[in-house]
Amino acid sequence: MKLELKNIKKSFEEKEVLHGVSFSVESGRALGLLGRNGAGKTTTMRIIMDVFRANEGEVLLDGKKFKPDGSQVGYLPEERGLYPKKVVKEQMMYLAMLRGMTKKEAAKSTAKWLEKLQVSEYTDKKLETLSKGNQQKVQLAATLVGEPEIVILDEPFSGLDPVNSQILKDVITELISEGRIVIFSSHQMSYVEEFCEDIAIINHGDVVLSGNLDEIKEQYGKGRKILSANNYDLEGLKALCEDKLADKVKVLFVTKHYVVLDLNDGADQWQILDALKTLNVDVKTFGAYEPSLNDIFVSKVGEEVVVEEEETPEEATPKKKGLFGKGGK
Amino acid sequence: MKNFKTIFKFELDNYFKSKSYMLLTIIIALIAATLMFIPRIVDSVKGEDDTKDSGVESEVNEEDLRNMAIYNPEGLGDMEMLAGYFSDAKFTECTSAEEVKKLVEDEKAEGGFVIKSSTEFDFYVFNKSMDNDDMEVFTEYMRMVVKMEYCEANNLNLEEYLAVEYAEINVNENILGKDGMQNYWYCYILVILVFMVIIAYGTTIASGITNEKSNRSIEILVTSTSTTALLFGKVLAGVVAAVFQFGLIGAASIGSYQINKDYLPNMLGMFLDIPGEVLLTFAIFGIGGFLFYAFLYGALGALVSKIEDLNKTAGSAQMIIMIVYMVTLFGIMDPDSILMKICSYLPISSYSAMFARVAMGSVAMWEIVLSAVLLYASVIGMGILGGKIFRNSTLRYGNPIKLSNALKNLKKED
Repeated sequence: MKLELKNIKKSFEEKEVLHGVSFSVESGRALGLLGRNGAGKTTTMRIIMDVFRANEGEVLLDGKKFKPDGSQVGYLPEERGLYPKKVVKEQMMYLAMLRGMTKKEAAKSTAKWLEKLQVSEYTDKKLETLSKGNQQKVQLAATLVGEPEIVILDEPFSGLDPVNSQILKDVITELISEGRIVIFSSHQMSYVEEFCEDIAIINHGDVVLSGNLDEIKEQYGKGRKILSANNYDLEGLKALCEDKLADKVKVLFVTKHYVVLDLNDGADQWQILDALKTLNVDVKTFGAYEPSLNDIFVSKVGEEVVVEEEETPEEATPKKKGLFGKGGK
Repeated sequence: MKNFKTIFKFELDNYFKSKSYMLLTIIIALIAATLMFIPRIVDSVKGEDDTKDSGVESEVNEEDLRNMAIYNPEGLGDMEMLAGYFSDAKFTECTSAEEVKKLVEDEKAEGGFVIKSSTEFDFYVFNKSMDNDDMEVFTEYMRMVVKMEYCEANNLNLEEYLAVEYAEINVNENILGKDGMQNYWYCYILVILVFMVIIAYGTTIASGITNEKSNRSIEILVTSTSTTALLFGKVLAGVVAAVFQFGLIGAASIGSYQINKDYLPNMLGMFLDIPGEVLLTFAIFGIGGFLFYAFLYGALGALVSKIEDLNKTAGSAQMIIMIVYMVTLFGIMDPDSILMKICSYLPISSYSAMFARVAMGSVAMWEIVLSAVLLYASVIGMGILGGKIFRNSTLRYGNPIKLSNALKNLKKED
């Protein structure tokens, strides 16, 4: 199965919030859909689920126009929501039946997912009596109770302790290995790196980067080196490089442990090492730069001057600088 | 409309599993039914007491008599005859008007009369209750005194005179159309009832949807099934719950009334003796009107994200319902007026206007059928329109969306 979004445009009232979003994801692979708050991720997800209709563009499944019938997509919204005053089993079965299951199938699937997420002891309890973490797990069980082929998870790990996070990781890994399409949105980049082979970064309604994560990392690390020294702190090392090695390298940024350098045209690593030796720098680390997803994300969307966050009307969350906003890393 | 049955059943279960809903329905139905039995029970208990204690009855009644005061300086009339007019009272004869006034002021007498002449008297009462008719009864008594004096002065036989005055006339009333007098009160009650149901259940349906939006369960629902099926399921479950609740209470009241009819005041018949055809018309138009507004309320519920914003958004619908209610209430007096005729075809008002015309005025069958077809076609239209508004508005949080903007958005999407 291959799900493709082609040139999706969407406006609310007079404002265009998606300007031609395109990406694709295949069975057995997870796509990390990334972006700052209000970038257009949720609108994109809702268009995939046919809750919103795109003004232009199309969503295709295996080359044919995709019209989800409810059973095909399981959605875990960022803003969790089930019926707090209803018994867990009742609402799970209701959702399963809405997604096309018979009463018997719904009961079986409810039991299966509650057990898998280790919350079966709460089957007959009202949702509001459960802890936040357990409510979260019930919510995920409700997402999966219809046995969907496409699973869309929006911030699935928020509010979970490490033990529950591990349970969820196991479930997501299983979903991917079963050949389902998983679209995964999170601000916790480590989880995205762990599960997703592909990413798509949306910024202000445009896909600013998409593709295979390893290839993107390789491309971003190309010609870039990391450097640290025993006799210089990072700021001192940065100043030295900018002062004495400006003809060979450009300092890109400083991380917690390294100065990241971009080699100028014609310069190679041996020339750099020779120059450092001449300058009496006691090199501790010198090697290829492997960017983290966090670095890539920040470099694509985090360094703009934020005049006003572009919020779609349906994502009118309180305005705040994004996690990766300027200076907010 | 796939999933409609599942949604309808789930929503209906929510009502029937609600303790407050079931308790309220059963308790009110029981109270309504029991109240109708009370006169029958009292009557049978009283009947037994009458046979057991007939000897002491007069003694007991003597104690229960009301105290009244009278000052009759010219000795007009006859105290025995006066006792006939006030069978529940005993009179203290006073020696002055002041004494009468004092007895009333001290609340030793419930009322007092000072007879100035056969055509003039003063009536004293401390606090006059709404049902106090002592003055009117005494006026009747004084009229009889005047008649007696007249007969005496003119040498006439009082009995003969009264026989002429109150000659028995046999009337055979044949109402070929509607009996407005008899139909007015139940028509009035049913118009109020449908108004109450629309407002109460409309608000319940709207707040249910707003709550789902507020607790975000709507996120899961709209991604699991179609919004049209969701709206139809929710609205129809609300309608069935309302019909069940009011139907049960109504059936208990009317059924109990029919059983105890002979023991109940005739006045109740004006409210509860409703002909079957009128009930059927009420059911057809009442349910149609309720459905129409329930869909509107459902769509309005989706326009806001917080319960506190709902009143503001639902205000316009409530205003229309209020205007229709007032027009119909006043229109009942003149059901064949042009205004009532127009209102009886408009889907926003036909639910009560056409019903009132059927109960009180002259309506041809084709008019009823046309109005019902228009109403139910509008219900379907409102359901589809409501579903679209629901779909476009339900996942848009923040400030309330204006209905006009929601409609504009629909136009764009189409």
